[in-house]
Amino acid sequence: MRTSLARFSAVLVFLCAIPLAGQAPQPTPPQGQEMVLKITKEAGRKLPLAIPPLSAPGVAAMQSRVVEPFTASLRSDLEYTGIFVIADPAHYPSGSRDPSTVEIADQWRGTGAEYLVDTRGEVTGDRISIEARVWDLKSHQLMLGRRYSGGATYVERIAHTLANDLVKEFTGKSGLFLSSIVFVSDRDGSKEIYAMDFDGRNVRRLTSHRSLAMNPDARGGKIVFTSYIHRFPQIWMMNADGSGAREIPTSVELNASPALSPDGGQIAFSGSAKGNPDIYVVGTSGSGLKRLTMTHALEASPDWSPTGRQILYTSDQSGTPQIWVMDAEGTGPRRVTYAGNWNDEGAWSPDGSKIAFACRNEGDFNICVMDFPNGNTVQLTSEGSNGHPGWSPNGEKIVYQSRRGGSTQIYTMDADGQNKRLLTERSNNMQPIWTP
Amino acid sequence: MKNRTWTAVLALLLTGTLGLVAACKKKPPTTAAGAKPTAEESGRTPETRVPPPPSGTPPGGVDSGVLPADVAEINAKGYLKDALFEYDKADLRDDARTALAADAEWLKRYRSVQFLIEGHCDERGTSEYNLALGDRRANAAKEYLVSLGVDASRVKTVSYGKERPFCSQSTEDCWQQNRRAHFLVTAK
Repeated sequence: MRTSLARFSAVLVFLCAIPLAGQAPQPTPPQGQEMVLKITKEAGRKLPLAIPPLSAPGVAAMQSRVVEPFTASLRSDLEYTGIFVIADPAHYPSGSRDPSTVEIADQWRGTGAEYLVDTRGEVTGDRISIEARVWDLKSHQLMLGRRYSGGATYVERIAHTLANDLVKEFTGKSGLFLSSIVFVSDRDGSKEIYAMDFDGRNVRRLTSHRSLAMNPDARGGKIVFTSYIHRFPQIWMMNADGSGAREIPTSVELNASPALSPDGGQIAFSGSAKGNPDIYVVGTSGSGLKRLTMTHALEASPDWSPTGRQILYTSDQSGTPQIWVMDAEGTGPRRVTYAGNWNDEGAWSPDGSKIAFACRNEGDFNICVMDFPNGNTVQLTSEGSNGHPGWSPNGEKIVYQSRRGGSTQIYTMDADGQNKRLLTERSNNMQPIWTP
Repeated sequence: MKNRTWTAVLALLLTGTLGLVAACKKKPPTTAAGAKPTAEESGRTPETRVPPPPSGTPPGGVDSGVLPADVAEINAKGYLKDALFEYDKADLRDDARTALAADAEWLKRYRSVQFLIEGHCDERGTSEYNLALGDRRANAAKEYLVSLGVDASRVKTVSYGKERPFCSQSTEDCWQQNRRAHFLVTAK
C-alpha cells in the first residue's frame, strides 16, 4: 500500500458522500481509491465544483497576468479530468466565500455546486502566494487548505499543482497537470523530437538532427530515440530537456523503437543482423548487448511491463503482425492477440492490468485496449487511421496519433475512449509518449 | 514513375551546376589569389567550364567501360535497377530477381564501386514495423547479389521504413513504387 491510513480513510469518507442510490452493491475493489473513480464514472455523474476567480485584493493591474490565467487553468484542468464539472460562474454569489455558515453555504449550493474552491492570492514583488481552501458545501466542512508560492510568472504552474492536489484528494490518484508528452514532428522540415505540456501547450523542440529523429521513449527524466544523423540508424539517449544527448552504440543494424526499462538501466529495441529483425536489449552504457527473440520472423515495438519482468512486442511469426509477450530474459514467448490481421505497438498500462495497441481487421487502424493477459478487448476509436497509443502516468488517459484528412495529429482520450481531444495542429505530429 | 524521372533530370542539372562550381573554384590558384571572378569570366558560355573528360576516356565514355567521375552522376544515370516487393513481403519476385541479376553483372564489371541498398515500404502499417520490414527488403536484395558473386563487403544496407517515400498518393501504383530496395552508389 502506497497510501497512508489517513488518506485511505479520507477517501472512504468521501466515498460515502457520493449518492449510490439504486446501484447494486459493488464488488470489493483491491484499492479504495479505484472504486471512487469507477463509481463516479459508472454513475455518469460529474462532481460539481464552484471555482470563483482568484481573489487578489489590490492587484487590479495583475488581472490579466495573474487572476485570469490562474483561474482559467484551474477550471480547464479540473474539467479535463472528466470527474468534475464547473458550476456556471454567472450564478456565483458576489458576497462571502466562507461557507461555514448554512446561509452562505446555501448561496453557493444554489449554483449547483457541491464543493467550493476558494483561492486567494497575494503578490509581493515578483513573488505570488496563493492560499486554497476547498469546502464541502453540504457539511460546511473545510476539506483541504493549502498554500502555494512561487514566481508571479508561474501562476499557471501553481494552478496545475493545486489541480493535481485536488484530483489526489478526490480520487486518490495522481493528477496529470504537470506532465509532458514527448513526440515527433516534421513542423520544422525533418522529423525531430519535441515535448509539450499535457494539454498541447508550450511546445519545445529537443533535437536538431536534420535527418530522422523518431520513435522516442521516455522514462525517469531520460528520452531514448532512433536517429539517422549518421545515415545509419543509431539509438540515442538524452535528458528530458534535450541536453546531454549521446549515441548508444550497438553492433547490430536497424536500432529501431528503443524502449527504456523501468529501472532506466536497459534499452529494449528492434535490432537486425543479416536482415532478421529481432528484439535485443543493451545497457544504457552501450554494454551487454543481448538478443532476446530467436525467430526468423520480424520482431519490433518492444515495451517493458511496469515491473520490468516482461516485454511486450510485435512478431509476424504467426503469418500476420500480432502482439506477443516474453520474460525479460527472452524466455517463454507467447502470443497475446488473436483477433484481427494486424495488432502492433503494444503499450502496457502503468498498473500492468491492460495493454493498449494499434489494431486492425479490415480498413483503418484503431486503438484497442485489452485486459491483460487474455481478457476482453475493446476498440476505442472509429475515425481516421490511429496508432502509437501510450498511457498517461496515472493510467486514466491514453495519448495516440490519428491520421485524418492528410495529416497525422496527436489526440488524448479517457482510457474508456471518452473525452477525445486534439492536442496538435501544425504539420504532422506523431509517436507520442506521456511522461510524469 | 514521373517523380523519379524529374528527380533524375534535377539531379543531372544539379550535377552540371556542381561541375561548374567546381571548375570555378579550381580556377583561382592559376590567377591572382583571392581575386573575384571578373564579369567577363562569369559571362563565359557554360560549355567552356565543363571539366575535360578524365585522361584515357575514349569517345563514348561509359559504353566503353568508364563511369562518370561524379557519384551523383552515376546514380542519376540509373545503372543499378531497384527491386520491387509485394505488400508486407520481403520475398524476391521474378521481376526483382531479373533486376538484381542485371545489377550483379554491372557490379562485377565495376569492381571498385561501393553501394548502399535502402529498404523502403508503403505507407500502410505502423512506422516501427515498416522499419523492420524495410530492413528485410534491403537485406533480401543484398543476399541475392552476394549469391550471384558480388562481394558482401562492397554493400551496406539501411531501412527507411515508410519515412522516405518515392511518391505520396494513397494508390496501389504509388504504394508499389514505395515498396522497394533502392540502390545508391556511394563510391566509385
